[in-house]
Amino acid sequence: MGSDVDDAYLVRRAQEGYVDAYSDLVDRHGPLAYRVALRLLGNHQDAEDIAQEALVTAWQQLPGFRADSSFPTWLYQIVTRRALNRITRSRITQSMDLLGDISDASAGPGQQAERNLTVDAVTDAVIALPPPQRVAIVLRHFEGLPLAEIADITGSTVPAVRSHLFRGRRTLSKTLAEWR
Amino acid sequence: MSGPGQPIHDVSLLLSGANQHLACGADVDELLEQAADGYASQFTSHQRDCPYCQAALREFGQVWEPVRRLAAERVPVPAALTTAVVSQIRKLVTDIWYTLQLSDGGVIRVAARVVARIAREAARDVAGVRVAFGRSTHSRAAGLVERATLRHRHPNAAVGVLGRTAVIDLAIAVQYGDQADEVAREVQRRAVAELRSQVGLRDVTVNVNVDDVIT
Repeated sequence: MGSDVDDAYLVRRAQEGYVDAYSDLVDRHGPLAYRVALRLLGNHQDAEDIAQEALVTAWQQLPGFRADSSFPTWLYQIVTRRALNRITRSRITQSMDLLGDISDASAGPGQQAERNLTVDAVTDAVIALPPPQRVAIVLRHFEGLPLAEIADITGSTVPAVRSHLFRGRRTLSKTLAEWR
Repeated sequence: MSGPGQPIHDVSLLLSGANQHLACGADVDELLEQAADGYASQFTSHQRDCPYCQAALREFGQVWEPVRRLAAERVPVPAALTTAVVSQIRKLVTDIWYTLQLSDGGVIRVAARVVARIAREAARDVAGVRVAFGRSTHSRAAGLVERATLRHRHPNAAVGVLGRTAVIDLAIAVQYGDQADEVAREVQRRAVAELRSQVGLRDVTVNVNVDDVIT
């Protein structure tokens, strides 16, 4: 039912204290928070913690939220900041399993094993990037966001984002080329 | 810059520190960006006739293919994420309670959020209502007075018990073309009836705010 209305409507109702309206926003954008946290942090437990923290923080900060940016952009900002704090507090060494336990039933064991190797190679390469490059790469190439929005999310400028992307792509490409 | 001659087919060499441009003058980072964005095979007019650019785009495209495949896959989200978040938020929201029965035999209370939920569900069943949200509007000051009075009368009754008068706000968005006031009146009638029958709240005020029209 909540899908009938846009985010701005749900945000206004949530700001007025309608918790159910915020619940609809979480249904709608919770996957975004979890996905980005997972890609930045590399493991499900940390991703779930950060996604929950970010969504609760967003609720607490909702009275100060202004409609000059979209709710998803604002949520990206909160998740990214929280994930970066977590990264700086603990160096993540585990492999990033983006796909969890979901397996492709149509693929045979050999194909599945090869696919898992590919997932591990790509995810390890992303996790190995320095945090600013990692954020830029995840938001651009995994979330498909435009540079201006990434600059908005990271509190940076478009040229700075572009520079992080250039460096991140070079590093990632070299790592993946070695793996081929 | 790489020297003239054969196109380079080694990604590490293409991306080595000194290599900013191909022999044709094309910017290596821009070609890498083009491939990473999924346009390795969509050549510009220059690239259509340039073996250097084509070789570089082919290599970059192959290297980035697994990244693009992975990015396109759906990430399964924990089923309990929304429940966990909303449960944490409920703890942050000052929960208030309505007293249904207060006697020496004990106290029966119902949380305001439960009352709001029942009112919301009742509203959602009314024809013409597209979206509905409910909240309790018992004021904080009234709550403190009730609590203090109750403690005085019943020292062992639990904290957070308020009165028997429920005040509920419903925000609804209605279907375009329907008569909003009639829909609102029906919402009010049904919400009051449901709260009476489901939780026994007799003194209920339901304020209905029609705040949007959906086509």
